[in-house]
Parts: sequence; C-alpha cells; structure tokens
Amino acid sequence: STVLGPERPQVVSHVQQALSYTVFDCKWVPRSARLMCLGSAARGTGVIQLYELHGARLEVLREIEKPKPIKCGTFGATSLQQRYLATGDFDGNLNIWNLEAPEIPVYSVKGHKEIINSIDGVGGLGIGEGAPEIVTGSRDGTVKVWDPRQNDTPVANMEPVQGESKRDCWTVAFGNAYNQEERVVCAGYDNGDIKLFDLKTMSLRWETNIKNGVCSVEFDRKDINMNKLVATSLEGKFHVFDMRTQHPTKGFASVSEKAQKSTIWQVRHLPQNRDIFMTSGGSGSLHLWKYEYPAQRSKKDSEGSEMGVAGSLSLLQNVTLSTQPISSLDWSPDKKGLCVCGAFDQTVRVLIVTKLSKI
Amino acid sequence: MPVWLREHSWRQSLTAVYLSLPLRGARATAANIFCSEQYLKVSIPPFLFEAVLYAPIDDTNSTAKIGNGNIFFTLYKKEPAMWDSLTLASADKEKLQHLRENAVLKAQEKAKEETEAKKITKQEHKKYALEATMKLEEAERKRIEDLKEKERQKVTKELELWKNQQKDGDKYKSIQTKEELHQEIEPLKERKNEKMNKTRIPSEASSKTRLKSTRGCHGSCSIFSQDLKEEQLPAPRAAATIKVNFTPRVFPTALRESRVAEEEEWLHKQAEAHRIMNSDLSELEDLKEEEKNPDWLKDKGNKMFAMGDYLGAVNAYNLAVRLNNKLPLLYLNRAACHLKLRNLHKAIEDSSKALELLTPPVPDNENARVKAHVRRGTAFCQLELYTEGLQDYEAALKIDPKNKIIEKDAEKIRQLIQGTMQSS
Repeated sequence: STVLGPERPQVVSHVQQALSYTVFDCKWVPRSARLMCLGSAARGTGVIQLYELHGARLEVLREIEKPKPIKCGTFGATSLQQRYLATGDFDGNLNIWNLEAPEIPVYSVKGHKEIINSIDGVGGLGIGEGAPEIVTGSRDGTVKVWDPRQNDTPVANMEPVQGESKRDCWTVAFGNAYNQEERVVCAGYDNGDIKLFDLKTMSLRWETNIKNGVCSVEFDRKDINMNKLVATSLEGKFHVFDMRTQHPTKGFASVSEKAQKSTIWQVRHLPQNRDIFMTSGGSGSLHLWKYEYPAQRSKKDSEGSEMGVAGSLSLLQNVTLSTQPISSLDWSPDKKGLCVCGAFDQTVRVLIVTKLSKI
Repeated sequence: MPVWLREHSWRQSLTAVYLSLPLRGARATAANIFCSEQYLKVSIPPFLFEAVLYAPIDDTNSTAKIGNGNIFFTLYKKEPAMWDSLTLASADKEKLQHLRENAVLKAQEKAKEETEAKKITKQEHKKYALEATMKLEEAERKRIEDLKEKERQKVTKELELWKNQQKDGDKYKSIQTKEELHQEIEPLKERKNEKMNKTRIPSEASSKTRLKSTRGCHGSCSIFSQDLKEEQLPAPRAAATIKVNFTPRVFPTALRESRVAEEEEWLHKQAEAHRIMNSDLSELEDLKEEEKNPDWLKDKGNKMFAMGDYLGAVNAYNLAVRLNNKLPLLYLNRAACHLKLRNLHKAIEDSSKALELLTPPVPDNENARVKAHVRRGTAFCQLELYTEGLQDYEAALKIDPKNKIIEKDAEKIRQLIQGTMQSS
C-alpha cells in the first residue's frame, strides 16, 4: 500500500558532486552541515574528503590521502567534542583520525588479515550509555569489537571455529545498548547467515539464514532495547525482524519484501523516526519505507511460548538517481530529511526528503 | 420501356424555377433524383422523368421536396433570366446523349471533390484535437514541475536557515564554553576531590543534575560532563572470543537464491564422478595404469574377440564398463561376445543398453546402431522369438537399406514366421 497524492514524501535532489575517486562510504559530521566521503583513488591510495554544504554547492574543506584505500567509516564511538572518525581500510587496518590533525591516527591497529567491509560505533555522540566501542567485520570471517582505550587487542572476537572454512562478513551493527552493560552486535555474512552476538554474556544469542548474501544490517536504534532489525541482501530482498520477542526455536518474527531485482546495498533508518527507513539499490534507486506495527506484537503459540508477530511495510516513495549502485547512504542526525548518498558512478548526492513530519 | 412522367407543372421567377412533379403513386427517395447543372432526372422504376434544362442552374443549392405523392423542385438559376420554356427545345438524340453523359461526368467529379474536401477537413480536425491534447498534457507536466520546483526552493531555504543556525550555535557555544570553563574550573576540581572518596552512584546523580540545569548549551555541558563521564565509563571489556559456526557452503562465492539450482546440479555431477572413481579405486589398486583406461580395455577386448577368447573379451569389457558406463561401444561389443557364447539374454540386454546410449539417432552412429539391431535380432531369433527378431532386422534395414545380408536374413525370418504360422 502506498500513501497517495501530494502528501507523499518527495525526494528532492539538492546537490550533486562528481568525484575523482570511487566513493565507498559517506557520513555526515555530527552537529554540522559537513560531510565526509571515503574511498579509493585511481592510484590505489585511500581518500578522505571533507565537504561543507554551501547553498546549492558542496565546498571541499579538506582532502586527506592515506596509503590504503578506505572502505568504511563511522563517528559512532566518538564524543561530540572530538568528532574523531574511525575508518576501516582495504588492508584490514582500523584507524581513528582527528580531522584537525590527520597526519597521525589517534588509534591504529591492524585488526584483520583482509579488507574491513563494515564498521560501526556505539557509545559516543552523547547517545546512550556505556563504553565507546567500535566493531569491524572483515572478509577474513571475523568480527572484532575494539575499545579505543585499549590498544592492539580487541575486547571481543567472533571468529570461526578451528577448521571451519571462513565466510566473508559483509556487515556489522551495534544494538540493544540501553544501559552500561547491555550490548549486542549483529553480523551478516555472504552465505546468508545473520548472527546476533550478546556482548554481555559473550555468547551467540541468535542466528538465522536468509538464503541470500547479507549486504547490510541495522537496528532501528542502537541505544534502546532492541526493537527492529532490518537486513538487506542480494536479489533485491530485505527482511525486517521484530526483536522484542524471541521464540526459543523460531527466533524472531519477520516480514520480508522484494523491492527490486538488484542487490539492496544499504539500509538506513531515519534518526528522527525509527519506523521510517531508506534502502538503496544496485539499480541506482532509493526506496523509502514505513513499517507499521501489528495490532498485537506478540502472541502465544501452541505450547504457550511467546512468539513475535511481524508487522507490515508500505512503500512511501521511490526514485532512481543513477545507473550505478548506490552503495552508501547516511541521514543527517541534525536536520530531518537531509541525507547524503554515494554511488559507484563516482558521484555523491545530497538529497532532501520532504514531508516526513506528516507521516 | 420506362413510363415517362409528363404531367409536370412549373412556374418561374427571375432567379428560380419551381417544378412540381406528381408521382402517380410511386414513392421517391433522394436516391431516385439525379441532378446536374443542366440536366434533371427522376427515375423510379418503371417511371422516368428527365429534362434538359433551358439554362444552367446551381445544382448544389437547389432543393427537392418529396411529399404528398409529389416532388417539388426549387431550382436556382445560374443567371437570372426568364426562361422561354423548362426544357431545351432542340433535343435530338445525340445531343441528349452527350448532355446526359456530361451531366454524369460532372456529377462524378463533384462527388470526388466533395470527398476530397471532407478528407481534408477531417485531417484538420484531427490535427487540432491532437494539438489540444498536447497542450493540455504540457500544462499538466508544467504544473507538476512547478510544484517540485517550489518544494525544492522551500527546502533549500530551510536548509540555509538551519545551516546559519548551526554556525551561530557554534559561535555561541564556543563563547559560552570559555566563560563557563573559567567559572567552573574551581568547583570542578573540588568536586573531583570529593568524588574520589564517594561511591559512584551519588556522583552520577550529581552529574545528571548538572546536565539538566545546563540543558540549553549542549556543547558546554558536554565538556565538563565529558570529564565526569570519562570517570564513569566502564572499563574496557574483558577480552573474550566467541566461536562461530557458519551454514555450510561449498562455493566461495556469495549465496544467491537464483543460482541455487545450478549449484546443486554441479555438485551432483561432481559427486557422481567422485563416486565412480572412489568405488573402483579400492578394488582396483593392483591394476596397472593402462588397465584403468576404458579405451585400452576396449581395444584389449576387441583383440581377444578376434582371437576367439570370448570370455576374456567379456571380462575386459566388464572392467571397462565399471570405469565408464556411458560408452555404447563397450555394450555393443560385449553383446557380440555374448552371442558367440550363446548368452542370448545377456546379448539382448547389452544390445538394448547400447541402443539406449546411441540416442540421438544420427548418421554418425548409424553403423553402431545397425550392428546393435542385428545382434539383438539374432539373439531373438536364436531364442525362437522370431517376430521380435524380425522387428530388429527391419529396424536395421531402415537405417541401412542397401545391406543385402540383412535383407536376406530378414527374408529368411519372414519365411520362418510364415512357416510356423502355417503349421500352427
């Protein structure tokens, strides 16, 4: 079902900027109108570019070159004052940079043997409680959690059992960080596995397989009791899991949708409304979705155990911006509806999604 | 012979002629009236009325009214003048004919012109309609574009406003923080000392109240709350490892639903190939290298057959079949051996298997198929199943009709069948 008529949110393209390198990730700098683009230059070096939004243009404030191409970055574990950027590169290095003095990283570790595909941070930016931590997922099959105060060794390491052949970990996300002790990490792999690790008990809390390689996972909010998890995959499918009720055998209830034929590269929830999220696709399109909760979020099954009830999804808007996949997407935490996306056509676009308050 | 209508009456004015024609009971329609510039005809079989008019009239504007058993013509003269009579006096047959023909031609031309004109007007109308719809659509599109533009501009303005707010906010924050820092450094130090002795919980509460009181300026409160927070942050976690098991997958590529069927097939084939290799390996370890090659074994078998060692040949073929059960020639040759050994059922089995493997039937495997049919036919005959044997011989003939031997044998079998039928 779709919201009809002039009340539909519109995706307005505000600025388009052509880049001279391949952009793998783009993120808003918190509390500002500035954004970061991370990627790989043609000569095989890493690029970090800092832009500022000026009217209808993006102005380059700073351009930093690093020896290895950079795949992903996050501001999630840094304080609002420092706003340090944590990045993962193609060589498996995790670095934290002070953008005012980017020559030497504030923290650096060769965390993985292969490319770090995905990174997430929690505990910073004045959101939530608990220690600031960074999680990285790599092609070497491991997922590691780092504390910027502890050098060299991760505080948690999720690695394959001895002798097990490794699978690429494609995406990681923090969740359930509603107090100092609780925290979970969700990881998605190329063989369709989704695993939920509980860091408090240091154990595997749940796993499932969605039959297609998992491209992106995200909780609707990191810092609350885990509510919803969206996992996107190859072949145009994504699943929304209701994380409030875990059934002993059936796990979490979910609803899935096939949005398009091509891979769904990213999912990002709107920071101002946790039931609205945007998915970006391999066909260069963006889809804006709204999740509607069912009348009853949980019910009892035949044996009396609680099981969750999945809700329904409605497509609010979709737009095609490029012919190449849109591989990265970020909402601005400060201005509702402002978002940036980076595509493989070497373009970064700033978009404004209107009428979100009316949803 | 038409019946001429002659009881017409007419009167005239300077510009028009009024002709009244009684119909004697016949009914007239527009189709019965033919009129051109100087010729008027009304034909209602069997009645006929014609008039070659005195002077030309304007036939497009003239009218004819049909009613009351009467046709009333109103003919407008081309040139206003009084006519001496309705019709032309001199009316010899040729002239009449000529005039008639002219009239008909003229009428036809007129008809053509009319259709042309109609076509043109129709086209113009279509064009007009098209243009009108295009304009409407343009207008609609423009309206939508305008709406979008307005949205865009509104949103851009809002963005600018927000950005400026941010800038101002930042400036304000930096000023604030400097002031507050100066003010708060002393009490902060005191607090820190105090806290060293107190437990955590009360200090948490106090920092929280601080946060509440200075809610307006996020930046400033985060400075000292940051310091306080650092002390409250839990220590880094105790390092631990979680061992992970993956859903098994043979292929190093990512899992895609659409590819699963292909992958299963490939795996199946691999498994089969492996199975054959493995099952033989264990028993045939003591074989020499060449003895594991089905082709070599086939050659060996052929040689033994030629020398008359049928059992040996069968053994060689058996081994070859175990290594590769998809070669039709192995079964074919083994069938020949079985025939010689009078293992007729086995010969039939092997010939059948060979034929199975020799699908699709193409010219390339004609030879082999003929042999297979003949061997099977022979076996059937030796089992006295002559009808089946004949079937096979006929199949062989179909493939190779020029083979005399097969023809002769087939004939022999036919005779045999007829013979048994006669005797039974």
